[in-house]
Amino acid sequence: MNWLSDNVNRLALLGAAAILIIVIGVAAKYFKQIKEGKSEGVLKEETWDGIGEYKNNSPIGWSLAFMGTIIWGAWYWLVGYPLNAYSQIGEYNEEVAAYNAKFESKWANPSKEDLLGMGEGVFLVQCSPCHGIDATGIEGKAQDLTHRLLKNEVLSVIQKGSGALGNPNGQFGYPLGMMPPGLLSGADAEAVAEYVANGFKGNDKGAQLFQSTCASCHGPDGRGQNGMAPNLREYDDAIIKHVLEHGKHGIIGHMPSFKGRLTPVQEKAVATYIRSLKEGA
Amino acid sequence: MFSWLERNPFFFAVGVFIVIAFAGLIEIVPDFAQQSRPVAGAKPYTLLQLAGRQVYIKESCNACHSQLIRPFKSETDRYGMYSLNGEYAYDRPFLWGSKRTGPDLHRVGNYRTSDWHANHFWDPPAIVPGSIMPAYRHLYKNVTDLETAYAEALTVKKVFNVPYDKDIDGDGKVDVPLGTFEQAKKQALQDALKVAEETKRKDLVDMVKQGKIPEVVALIAYLNRLK
Ligand code: HEC
Ligand code: HEC
Ligand code: HEC
Repeated sequence: MNWLSDNVNRLALLGAAAILIIVIGVAAKYFKQIKEGKSEGVLKEETWDGIGEYKNNSPIGWSLAFMGTIIWGAWYWLVGYPLNAYSQIGEYNEEVAAYNAKFESKWANPSKEDLLGMGEGVFLVQCSPCHGIDATGIEGKAQDLTHRLLKNEVLSVIQKGSGALGNPNGQFGYPLGMMPPGLLSGADAEAVAEYVANGFKGNDKGAQLFQSTCASCHGPDGRGQNGMAPNLREYDDAIIKHVLEHGKHGIIGHMPSFKGRLTPVQEKAVATYIRSLKEGA
Repeated sequence: MFSWLERNPFFFAVGVFIVIAFAGLIEIVPDFAQQSRPVAGAKPYTLLQLAGRQVYIKESCNACHSQLIRPFKSETDRYGMYSLNGEYAYDRPFLWGSKRTGPDLHRVGNYRTSDWHANHFWDPPAIVPGSIMPAYRHLYKNVTDLETAYAEALTVKKVFNVPYDKDIDGDGKVDVPLGTFEQAKKQALQDALKVAEETKRKDLVDMVKQGKIPEVVALIAYLNRLK
């Protein structure tokens, strides 16, 4: 009888025996009561199909719980629910506000590396389905973002002005508003378009025409005079911001507006990322 | 009185039902009636969009795509504003879906365009590397069933009072015309031509010009409307 030397086993055995004895005792008591017992209680007047019921005081624990429930019910109805009502939208609003506050303080002064990393993330999620993961525009289905402008793009803008961007009355929301159509035509237009598409290199005729016709708005260096008109040399922060806000309907296709979907830091980040694609080349 | 109820199980059951249903009736029904109203400015589907919706159902796009943006930041960041009840007022049946093998589509009209869809349905992996969405090239040949779509539109107009041929926003113009089948078909062909031109695919434009709307055009019209 080795196992009886273990205290826990002995205790368990004792417990089992106690339970057995109590069960038998209680069962015997009630059997006896059913056989011999006489009722001392007072019956209620009502009967249900001839079956009566004793008058009994309700148990004290039960009564307390019942009154407690009434008090809690009144509190919940008048104070608890009206003041603390849960709302999924409320929780969502709090989540967004808390996130935005954190985001803004964390990225108040992002370094260039931060912007590049964030920009790549934004680009892959939001832009790559159209512009391609390598940003070259999936064989002409969207703008090739490793390159600023193509010759036929510039040509169509010279021909149709702002109309070539989707709206004749100005599309991107630059301070200079719209670009008028038909500033140049024929070989002149070709020369300027080639000069611009080539990254402002070579082509003396184009360079001259650009200075005489386009520089008044786009600046002598083509950089758009600090955001007055689009920068034609590189994707600066302004063009990305404006295109994201307004979208673009050009000769390549339709770029939808991303209004309200990216924070200013994210826009800056994606612009930084897009510029980095060119710097590497 | 109650002993009488206890002897009549049927009326007892009715009584129990009323007691239990009462709270629901006064709490759920008025709120539901309010929330399921169309959101301000919601318009019913045009015939072409409705036909596209039928293509969407027929092709079981809802097996892989949901149309319900939940109010979580991670979702609204990706898809836009969370969905509201009243936005589904004209959806019969709604296409919430329950599984996202692909992304949610409830606001896809905001960030994808006709030409994008046309390239994507033709060959998804060419546009989204690694995509497991099947190509739907048969939609470029199948002709849209406008009759069934018209029957659906007319039915919901008559039975559920869906506001076709009505001025919804109060600017004095009919917002979504339906009219007779001939009128509706003419309108659908016009809408389809616009979408087909946006896709930049000559085969689609040609088909529409011959009076046959390819199913993919109707489908794109429907997706563009999801905003
Ligand atoms: C009157 C001022 C003005 C002149 C002159 C002008 N532009 Fe513009 N240009 C603009 C504005 C403003 C926009 C932005 C248009 C818009 O938002 O719709 C623009 C847009 C463009 C774009 C589109 C940029 C993009 O990112 O898509 C190109 C290309 C362009 N201009 C080239 C030229 C060339 C080449 C000339 C000379 C032949 C020229 N512009 C002359 C004001 C001008
Ligand atoms: C639905 C497809 C689509 C998505 C998504 C998209 N783009 Fe575009 N984007 C285009 C197309 C198409 C063009 C070319 C429009 C044209 O010139 O015809 C374009 C043009 C552009 C241009 C050139 C504008 C100019 O004229 O200077 C920029 C910059 C740009 N996109 C940035 C972005 C960024 C950043 C994102 C992600 C936040 C993005 N795009 C997402 C389709 C898209
Ligand atoms: C086997 C599951 C599956 C089926 C069926 C399916 N899709 Fe997809 N869908 C996907 C996946 C996965 C993606 C994400 C990859 C991609 O963009 O191709 C996707 C992406 C999309 C997108 C792009 C959404 C975005 O935000 O970029 C659209 C639009 C779309 N599907 C529409 C449809 C339509 C319409 C149908 C029915 C004709 C359909 N899908 C059927 C799995 C599916």
